[in-house]
Amino acid sequence: MPEREYEITIAPDGTVELNIHGHKGKGCLDVAKIFEQIVGEQKSQRLTNEFYEPEEQVQYRIDQRH
Amino acid sequence: MSAVCILAPVMVAAWPAFSSAVVAAAGSMGYVVAEEAVSQFLGATATPQRKTAVALDIPNSQIVTSQLGRDQRISVSRDGVTVTFSRDERGKAGLCVLGNGQSEEELHAAGEELSQRVVQQYVYQRLTQEMQSRGYSVVEESTDVNQAIHMRIRHWEN
Repeated sequence: MPEREYEITIAPDGTVELNIHGHKGKGCLDVAKIFEQIVGEQKSQRLTNEFYEPEEQVQYRIDQRH
Repeated sequence: MSAVCILAPVMVAAWPAFSSAVVAAAGSMGYVVAEEAVSQFLGATATPQRKTAVALDIPNSQIVTSQLGRDQRISVSRDGVTVTFSRDERGKAGLCVLGNGQSEEELHAAGEELSQRVVQQYVYQRLTQEMQSRGYSVVEESTDVNQAIHMRIRHWEN
């Protein structure tokens, strides 16, 4: 279970700055969408280097033994 | 981190959530609740007897109510300035700032500052409720000297 951490700053006028940590790839855009639904409209967005890293993948290997 | 987003608040609230934000904002700025009243009659607005009055509205606000025809309002006061928040006929949140001896500019500034803090408190209350219901934990919270609220929240995903 990966840990996700978000930093939120609510300015005195109610404007919200959201820093999304721990997401590689486009997963952070889904999080941004959730916050947009709660707070209001998105005014700007800046993607950081982590956004362009490959998304996490989980691989399972199953060996069948007879 | 992977992204930084700036969100502009839109306040769509029922009267209890709105008045709760007013009380929290007013309390943090040294105002005291003077009166909360629900009048049955739209025409029963009190006429101010004071010298100066300034009317403002809260942008991007909508107060939803199931009590059609009711005129809801809440007043807070500090140092001779009384600010009355209400919902107009179209559902928009507005405020009237009444003063005794202050200039219109001073009252406008006081009303502007308080209305912004009401929006801040509304956003804070809505965020904390929503985050809690979605299983997020607030691990750190503080208010800085500029009255900005900082929160660090954490979530474990499956």
